[in-house]
Amino acid sequence: MEKTMIKLIRIIGLAIVGLFSTLLVANSVIANEVNVFSARHYDSDVQLYEKFTAKTGIKVNVVSGKDKALQKRIKEEGKDSKADIYITADAGRLGAFQAEGMFQKGASSAAIKKVVPANFRSPYWVGIAKRARIIYYNPKTVNPSWNMSYEDLADPKYKGRVVIRKSSNIYNQSLVASLIKNNGEKNTAAWAKGMVNNFARKPTGNDRAQILAVAAGEADWAVANTYYLALMLSGSKGAEQQAAAKKVMPFFPNQDGRGTHMNISGGGILKHAPNKANAVKLLEFLLTPEAQQHIVNNTFEYPMIPGVKANKLIAQFGLDFKQDLKTKVSNYGKLQAKALKVMNEAGW
Amino acid sequence: MTKRINFWFIFAFLVPLLVAIPIFTVFLSFFDTTGNYLDLLKDTFLLKYLSNSFLILLGVLSLTFIFGVTSAYFVSFYKFPGVNFFKWALILSFAVPAYIYAYSLVAFFENYGTAFSILTFLFGEGDYNKNIPKFDGLIGSMFSISFSLFGYVYVLTRASFVFQSHNLIEVGKNLGLSSYESFFKIILPSARPAIVVGLSLVAMETLSDFGTVDFFSISTLTTAIYNAWISFDDLTTANQLSFVLLFFILLLFILENISRRGAKYHQNSKGNKPIPKIQLVGGKSIFATCFCSILFFCSFIFPVSQMTYWTIKFPKYFQDINFWSLNMNTLLLVFLSSLFLITFSFMTNYGNRVSKNKLLSYLSTFSVSGYALPGIILAVAFITFISWFSDLLTSIFGFDSFKNVFIGSVVGLVIAYFVRFFSLSYNGIKSGYSKINNSIDENAYLLGYSKFKTFSTIHLPYLKTNILLVGVLIALEIIKELPITLILRPFNFETFATKAYSYAAQDLLEAAAFPSLCLIIWASIFILFISKYILSEK
Repeated sequence: MEKTMIKLIRIIGLAIVGLFSTLLVANSVIANEVNVFSARHYDSDVQLYEKFTAKTGIKVNVVSGKDKALQKRIKEEGKDSKADIYITADAGRLGAFQAEGMFQKGASSAAIKKVVPANFRSPYWVGIAKRARIIYYNPKTVNPSWNMSYEDLADPKYKGRVVIRKSSNIYNQSLVASLIKNNGEKNTAAWAKGMVNNFARKPTGNDRAQILAVAAGEADWAVANTYYLALMLSGSKGAEQQAAAKKVMPFFPNQDGRGTHMNISGGGILKHAPNKANAVKLLEFLLTPEAQQHIVNNTFEYPMIPGVKANKLIAQFGLDFKQDLKTKVSNYGKLQAKALKVMNEAGW
Repeated sequence: MTKRINFWFIFAFLVPLLVAIPIFTVFLSFFDTTGNYLDLLKDTFLLKYLSNSFLILLGVLSLTFIFGVTSAYFVSFYKFPGVNFFKWALILSFAVPAYIYAYSLVAFFENYGTAFSILTFLFGEGDYNKNIPKFDGLIGSMFSISFSLFGYVYVLTRASFVFQSHNLIEVGKNLGLSSYESFFKIILPSARPAIVVGLSLVAMETLSDFGTVDFFSISTLTTAIYNAWISFDDLTTANQLSFVLLFFILLLFILENISRRGAKYHQNSKGNKPIPKIQLVGGKSIFATCFCSILFFCSFIFPVSQMTYWTIKFPKYFQDINFWSLNMNTLLLVFLSSLFLITFSFMTNYGNRVSKNKLLSYLSTFSVSGYALPGIILAVAFITFISWFSDLLTSIFGFDSFKNVFIGSVVGLVIAYFVRFFSLSYNGIKSGYSKINNSIDENAYLLGYSKFKTFSTIHLPYLKTNILLVGVLIALEIIKELPITLILRPFNFETFATKAYSYAAQDLLEAAAFPSLCLIIWASIFILFISKYILSEK
């Protein structure tokens, strides 16, 4: 029995030594690599990183997770952080992280400036793909006029016919932030109350669930991002949801005003990035036509650079709609807290 | 001799102290506070968060009580078709984490979901969405958490029923009590301590749940703390909220501890005849079989079928999964964590036993509350503490920073699991230890055994079964663990749980099916491995 004990102690000892030595080795090897913290979880992104590695020999290491938790980890690791790039969906999040001084300048290199429109980038971060937050409707029951707007959804005549997800959702916070920027806080508060009055049900489920509610006749109007409908139309959600998606029409609002609300997925280079040069290379690679084509075909987002065609499931809705290029996406981060307050006070 | 006492003492002192660190971290402010989250919170959310937490807790406690006690009563006292099967099949519900249950629930009942597909398949095209029941996130959370946790109440209540004094029930019968009366007047009251222990475990797990309520976007006290801390960098608010949460949990702990003492009193283990089971006939027998079947179906077959259906329906997601590395990562974490947990809780227990020090025993009791601290809060506290400690040592002694050794490494993960599950492991071993009479130790010393030799040649072999049980319980927890792994893991490191989560987060529940299924299979294997011990009637 004494022997068993000694054996056990040996195993534990070996385990400890093994663990630490792996760590030391891992730390001491200076590799040609770039480390990505990503709040986007797409497998297609990982395939893209593999292409990048094949092309440049630079290895891409990834940790994915919840947006805020990743940010907390980066902040606490401070100058010891190995993270080079932080990628997330929604400009509001990028802006908020920038405001905390966590990014360094350099995301928008000369090559990137040439291809990405100014309102989708800042010196600290750059958009990788675009999405629009639009209205969906049931063509059998309603027919929107060409100039219908987000503002119109609060009209009392749609009482009990509108679905949208919860106020805790970042896409809603960014949409409402853009309304505050354009219409002021007071008007937006009144609008939020009107919206809540028009709800067909208590907000529940994700964007896709809102579109499905319109398909199932629970509501006439839904607000959701563009790629969700394409995802269902692609058939990757099964034949039933593909058929359901065909019962719903997308509508691009605010065409006679500022244009449809646009948002981005994007990334920035972190303040303490140990591999800055590689990070710039990776961002530049993500904005090449080849990479953009891969992104739009897998995530059904809109391309960030000219000359790349959106996937045909998205393109069929029309690509010449007026995008809101007036409201800078950097406002979303600044007005996030106000947006949340406005929605909560309305009981959203 | 003195030297050895010192070693054990120091050990029993340091380990619980380490485990208690995150709790101190939650309470002590290390840095300046900013933000005004509390004002925002007071105006709008706080009441809602509290009421959500309270409603979920109430719903889960009621449901797990009904599910757990009823099924335990049926399988312990009666014979009916399938009783021997249900006896162990019902504990398989432990294999399905609440968040995976939630994925299945949503997938099945959503518009054009699986229920719709089944109806279309059976009756042809139709407008079935109206007829498929819809529920909001609050109800969804209650059911998901209840089905995955009622096992605690079932196992503990059943054990108490099995060991219940036969005489008491006989006396009841002789007094002319009906089976209905003897259930409410004798059986239930004497099993109360065990039920309370089960329910308080359920309550703690419910309050610390993150995966499920996050999936349903329901804001609870735990998500409020997370938001205050992480989104608004408002540590004061986070602390105040944590205080409320910990206060609740402390209450549960006290309740649980009192009940455990009661449980010991009621379980008279000597001279206990197994209670002869009564054969149910007719309607009663059908009811018992139906109740257990439905419970087994809802808690295990339903989520497993939904995940299997998807895995088969969408085979393209197979290729995206690095199956081998997922298995290896999960098993590596299980192996390392159980090794350290079991060894250290053994030594702490022994240290407590030989030094018989009040301070030590208080410290151990306090440190086990690591289990009560929600995983997500623990992970953030861990990062904060390591970062603070490393900066401190750097500024005072000029040490190199060691943040990278602990944050984003397997070492860090194992330590965080250690803190979270030390209670499980410590108490599991302690319950075995309490059965070894102190006089055995004294006799061993008289025979000239050293403390170490007593420990290794007498205690260790005697507690083999306990070690196995504790090891498997740790394995189950770690396989299912989500928030700590998600936040602290190294680069390019996935487990079944994180893989399933990241697919679910991008609205690809059908892709989450395969990793979820693997997770359930692993957990089931472990459960079947120890079911014999959990269900022992001796």
